[in-house]
Amino acid sequence: MSDIKPIRIMLTGVGGQGTLTATTLLAKTVLAEGLPVTSGEIHGMAQRGGVVESTVLIGCKSPKIGLGEADVLLGFEPLETMRAMPYLRKGGLVLSSTEFLPPLSVAMGKQENPSLETVKEVVAQCTDKSFYLPCQTLGLEAGAVQAGNLALLGALTATDAVPVSLQTLAETIKSNLPAKIVDVNIKALELGVRSLENT
Amino acid sequence: MAHPLLSPEGGATHLLLGNEAIVRGALEAGIQVVTCYPGTPSSEVPDTFYRLAPNAKYKFEYSANEKVALEVGGGASLSGAMTLTTMKHVGVNVAADPLLTLSYTGTPGGMMLLSADDPGCHSSQNEQDNRYYGRLAGLPVFEPSSAQEAKDMARDGLLLSQKHESPLLLRTTTRVNHLRGPVEFGPMPAPGKPEGFTRNPAKRVPIPAFARPMHERLLKRIAALREEAEKSPYNKIHGTGAIGIAASGISRAYLADAIMETGLAGKFKVMELGFSHPLPENMALDFMKSVDKLIVIEELEPILENDLRVLAQKNGLNLTIEGKGLLPPNGEFTVTMVANVLRAQVGEETFACDSCIPAELPQRPPNLCAGCPHRATYFAARKVFGDDAIYSSDIGCYTLGLLPPLSMADFLVCMGSSISAGCGASLANDKPVVAFIGDSTFFHSGLTGLASAVFNNHDVLLVILDNHTTAMTGHQPHPGVEMTIHGANEHRLDIARACEGLGVEHIRQVNPLNQKKTTAALEELKEMSGVRVLIAREPCPLHTRRVYKKTAPMVAYVADSCTGRAECLDKLACPAFYKEGDKAAVNPILCSGCMLCLQVCTHIKSKKRGR
Ligand SMILES: Cc1ncc(C[n+]2csc(CCOP(=O)(O)OP(=O)(O)O)c2C)c(N)n1
Ligand code: SF4
Ligand code: SF4
Repeated sequence: MSDIKPIRIMLTGVGGQGTLTATTLLAKTVLAEGLPVTSGEIHGMAQRGGVVESTVLIGCKSPKIGLGEADVLLGFEPLETMRAMPYLRKGGLVLSSTEFLPPLSVAMGKQENPSLETVKEVVAQCTDKSFYLPCQTLGLEAGAVQAGNLALLGALTATDAVPVSLQTLAETIKSNLPAKIVDVNIKALELGVRSLENT
Repeated sequence: MAHPLLSPEGGATHLLLGNEAIVRGALEAGIQVVTCYPGTPSSEVPDTFYRLAPNAKYKFEYSANEKVALEVGGGASLSGAMTLTTMKHVGVNVAADPLLTLSYTGTPGGMMLLSADDPGCHSSQNEQDNRYYGRLAGLPVFEPSSAQEAKDMARDGLLLSQKHESPLLLRTTTRVNHLRGPVEFGPMPAPGKPEGFTRNPAKRVPIPAFARPMHERLLKRIAALREEAEKSPYNKIHGTGAIGIAASGISRAYLADAIMETGLAGKFKVMELGFSHPLPENMALDFMKSVDKLIVIEELEPILENDLRVLAQKNGLNLTIEGKGLLPPNGEFTVTMVANVLRAQVGEETFACDSCIPAELPQRPPNLCAGCPHRATYFAARKVFGDDAIYSSDIGCYTLGLLPPLSMADFLVCMGSSISAGCGASLANDKPVVAFIGDSTFFHSGLTGLASAVFNNHDVLLVILDNHTTAMTGHQPHPGVEMTIHGANEHRLDIARACEGLGVEHIRQVNPLNQKKTTAALEELKEMSGVRVLIAREPCPLHTRRVYKKTAPMVAYVADSCTGRAECLDKLACPAFYKEGDKAAVNPILCSGCMLCLQVCTHIKSKKRGR
C-alpha cells in the first residue's frame, strides 16, 4: 500500500441528488483499477434535503477527509462546492456543477445565494485548477437529470488527478446500474469528458 | 441470482459498507438469531438481514426496543442459538439492565452486541463512549477500523463469544459503520440447528446465592479472555522508535495515514489494539518497557490511556504517558490532527491548514419533507395552542418540528420521554402541556409512561404521530405498521386500542391532512383535563411510495390571484414552495400532493399530476 501516492477525493451535494450513488460507483471503479480504496459517507439527514458529504480515498486507511486534506473536490452543486472549500488543500483540483439547487431559505426569498462568479472567485483564491460543468443540463441532454452526476465523474477521468480511466468507469456502470439506465449514464460520462476538453 | 452476501463460497472480494461487512461476518460464523432496534449508524446491519431474510436460514426480528431486543437475543443464546443484537450507542442505555446480568448468566450459544457509537454527534443526542459498558459488564470488546476487520471481527467475535459463553461487545463508531472498503470473503457454512436448551438453574438464575458464584465465574472468564487478547491477531506491535503509540478503533486508521503522511515511520513504535478489553497486560507491559514515552490515541474518553496508566503505576514504570492532553475527549479526530501530534513529538513544525474559509453561506438545515403529515399535525396544534402550551417533544423525524416556523419542541430528553417529562412539566406549572410522540417511539417506550400517567392522573395531552413507520432511521417496521417490504403486517397492534387498554378515557383519531377535523379534535381535548390522546394517522409519503407503491394523483399550484401575502411560505415551510417574483409558487416535482396548503390559503389550487 505504501508505494501508492495517496489521493483524497471529497464529494459534496444535496440530499436526493444521487451523490452517494456516484461515490460508490467511483469507489468501485478505483477498486476495479486494482488500487486500494476506502470510501466514507455522512448522511444522517440526507433524505430531508440536507448536505451530503462523502469521500473516496486511494492508498489510505482512513475513510475521512479533514480540513485542508482533499486533493480533489467534486461539487455536485455550486453552493455546496463553496461550503466545502475548506476541505481542499491549497492547489488541489475542483470540479463543480454550475447549477444551483437553492436551499429553502433562498427559495423562500429570505436569504440570497452567492452568485456563480463569487463561487468561482472563492475557488480561485485557493487553487488555479478548477473546471465548471452544467451537470443537470448535461444529464438532461444524456436523457435523465440524475445522470448529471456521472458527467462530473467523466470529467474527472479526463484530468490527470486520479489514476482512473474512462473505460473502467464505464464498465463499472455497466455491471452495477440497472440495464435500462446504463446507456443514459454512459452518455453523460462522455458529455462530461467532452465538456472538460472544450474548456 | 442469490445476493453476494449469501454466497457460501469464500475468496471473492467485494466493496462493502462497514455495516454490510458485519452482516457477512456474522453469516460466516453461522449466525442463527438476529434481533435489533434500529438506530443510526447501526441500522444497515439489521436492515440488510431483514431484506435477505426470505432467502436465508437465520431468524430475524425488529424488537419493540433495545431492552427487548437484548432479552430476546439473550434467551435465544441461553437456549443455544448463536445470536447477534444490534443498536445505536444510546440503545445500550435502554438495554443496560439485561446486559449486566447476561454477563453473569453467560450466553452459551454465543452472543454479540453491536453498539454503534457516534463521536461528532452526526445523528445522535450525545457522544457517550460505550467502551465503558464493556468494562462495566466485564465483556470482551472488539473495535474494528476497516471494512475487512468489521467482517472478520464479527465472525471471530461470535466464535469467541461462543467459546467462552460470554456476550461480546462489537464497538463501532460512525466512520466504521459508514465506510466502504474491499472485503475478502471467507466461506459461509450452513448455520445448522441451535445446540438446544440445557437445564441448569444454578448457572442461569441469579438469585443472590447463585449470583455470588456467577460473579466469581465472570472474574475467571475475564482472566481467560485476557489470555485470548494476549494472543489475538487483532492486537499487534510494529515499527521501531523510542516513542511508543498505543491506538484503538478507527484511530488506528488515522494513525497509519498520519505516519505515512509525515514520513516518520522510523520514529515511532506502535501498539494497535483491535481486541481492546480485557487489556492484554503482558503485551502492553513489554511494549511500555521498550519505549521512553507513550502516546495514547483514542477518540472520546481516555479509557485505554487510564488502563495503561494503571498498569504502568502498578509495575513501577516511570515513563511519561500522554493522551487526552494532546487530543480532545470530544468529537472525531482527523489524519492531520494525529499527524500534528507526531510532528510535535519529534520537534517538527506542525501543519497549519491554509485552505480557504468561505463567508457565511445560506444553511441547508434538514426539514420535514414536502407532504410530511407531521407538518399538518403541528400546524393544527399551533393554531389551537399557540405559544400558550409547553411542548414536550420526542425523538424521530417529528423532532424537526423544533425549527421555525412550526417551533413545536420545548424540551426533549430521550426516546419515550415526551409523555413522562410532559407529566413532570404539568406538576410544575399551570400551562397546558402537549406531548408529541412518534408511533415507533410509542411502542419503544411510550406505553409505560402512558400507564404511569393514567395511574397518577396527570394533566397532559399526548399527540401520537402515527406515520405507519420508523421514518427517521430508514423506515423500519414496528408493531403498529400495516405494511412492510415483505407484505402486510399480520400481527398489527392498534394504537387506539392500546391506549384504551391502558385506561385512557379521552381518545380521538384523525387524519392530520384534514385540518378542520384535526383542529376540532384538538379544541375539544383542550377543554378536558386528565390524560388525553390524539392519534394523528397518515403514512409518511416516502413510506407510501416505497411500500404501498402509491403517489397522490394531484399536486398543488398557486393561482394567478395570489396576493403575495405568502402565509404558505411563512407558516408552513413546505419545501415544495418557492418565491417567484413577489408571488408564491409550487415545484410540482417536489409536491407530494398532501393538499395541506389548500386548506391554508384559498389562492392555492390542485391539478392532476403531470398536467
Ligand atoms: C434509545 C434510542 N434508540 C434508537 C434511537 C434512534 N432513533 C431515533 S428516532 C427513532 C424512531 C423514530 O420513529 P417514530 O417515532 O415512528 O418517528 P418518525 O421518525 O417516523 O417520525 C429511532 C429509532 C434513539 N435516538 N434512541
Ligand atoms: S421521511 Fe416521512 S416522516 Fe420523515 S420528514 Fe419525511 S415525510 Fe416526514
Ligand atoms: S400539497 Fe402543498 S403542502 Fe402538500 S406537498 Fe404539495 S405544496 Fe407542499
